[in-house]
Amino acid sequence: MSDKQLDFEFRERLNRIVGGDHHNYCYQCGACVAVCPAARFSDEFNPRDILLMTLLGREQELISADSIIWKCTNCYSCYERCPQDVRPVEVIIALKNMCTQQGVLPDNVDKFSEAIIQTGRSVVITSTINRRRQALGLPELKDVPVEELKIILDE
Amino acid sequence: MAENVRVIPFWGCMIPVKYPQMELSVRKTMEPLGVELVDMDGFTCCPDPIYFKARDKVQWLTVAARNLCIAEEAGLDIITMCSGCTSTLLEAKFILAEEPELKEKVNQRLKRIGKEYKGTVTIKHIVVMLRDDIGMEILSSTVKRPLTGIKVGIHYGCHLLKPSQIMHIDDADYPSLLENLIQTLGATPLTHTEKLLCCGKGCLDDNMPLQMTYEIFASMEAVGADCMGLICPTCFNSFDIGQILISRKMNRIFDLPVIYFCQLLGLAQGFQPEEVGLHLHRIKIDKIMEKLVKSESVEFAL
Repeated sequence: MSDKQLDFEFRERLNRIVGGDHHNYCYQCGACVAVCPAARFSDEFNPRDILLMTLLGREQELISADSIIWKCTNCYSCYERCPQDVRPVEVIIALKNMCTQQGVLPDNVDKFSEAIIQTGRSVVITSTINRRRQALGLPELKDVPVEELKIILDE
Repeated sequence: MAENVRVIPFWGCMIPVKYPQMELSVRKTMEPLGVELVDMDGFTCCPDPIYFKARDKVQWLTVAARNLCIAEEAGLDIITMCSGCTSTLLEAKFILAEEPELKEKVNQRLKRIGKEYKGTVTIKHIVVMLRDDIGMEILSSTVKRPLTGIKVGIHYGCHLLKPSQIMHIDDADYPSLLENLIQTLGATPLTHTEKLLCCGKGCLDDNMPLQMTYEIFASMEAVGADCMGLICPTCFNSFDIGQILISRKMNRIFDLPVIYFCQLLGLAQGFQPEEVGLHLHRIKIDKIMEKLVKSESVEFAL
């Protein structure tokens, strides 16, 4: 981290993503690290380091399909604990949104979310499901209004 | 009996499609409590607070707001059965209240389908409704077969409690909601070291999620739990099949049944395990049923 060049342009772009602007509040106390399960189970993952790289504007290290940010468990413990209202998990998710903008989303994340847009559900319905539901005495699953989704998601 | 409570169930995706036994247990157990489930057409995925949100937060908010509109139009509260749905719907409501410009942007999109998100709907996880709108007294009045002697290892999961600024459900570090509910069923709630550890499902890594599951089960085993009690289908996915994966990959057998809260409630209300879909779980509950039958016969002898 000896490079003294800060990439403010990157940070300005991050500020425009929902929740991305809160990265500015981070004063590097490390309260998030103490409660982070990913930091506990991985030697590489450290939310304070991710925030520091963000403050420095290290775009190349942060924005990629194999970036460390994808190992976040999304548990919200850092959001709960942060004394500065940084909401680190939300900053990490904003960084993930940047991955989308640059077309470097991990494959499974892309496919999973695409399935939601195409089918309206995150779990694909197979022919056996309604039979299993019927056997349990549950009502048949109806189609979801996929057309409406496409209309509201049209950029 | 309490005044009739009418709510809209937001079933989400995992429960109706992958784990319909959980839906079954909700439908069975709400009836004796006087809760009327008003099923609505038109809901989509909440959408999920991990992947879909990672792709595009504005799209995520838009789809969530569309779902909330359906309940607003009907004028009833939403109950959620999945912590992921709870997280998405409550956080979307929070963000849209916090950022009026974003709400405007979302509403411009919703206008295309003739909808407007107002922000008036109340969203509650089913266990929160049970605590706040039904109450322990009425809950306990429907218990026909107290789960005496059954030690339930509690797993809160992450998204019910955190962030407390949004969820407003319980103390995120020292919660008591599930302990109180499980005690009301006559069972013994067990706290344990890893009670609040994440199940790991949202982490894109080959090993970490399994390691987290391992620690949680080791911690429950150490305090002598008979089963695990939880409230989220995603955590269930980590833990039911997760124990099988641990036995294969880590060569360690746990064999602790994982039971959704309304299935425990169903057993306490006198339903048979099959009536609340417990026969569909990978880890079977035979030992618990033996223990229950034994404690019932002891009571009879006394």
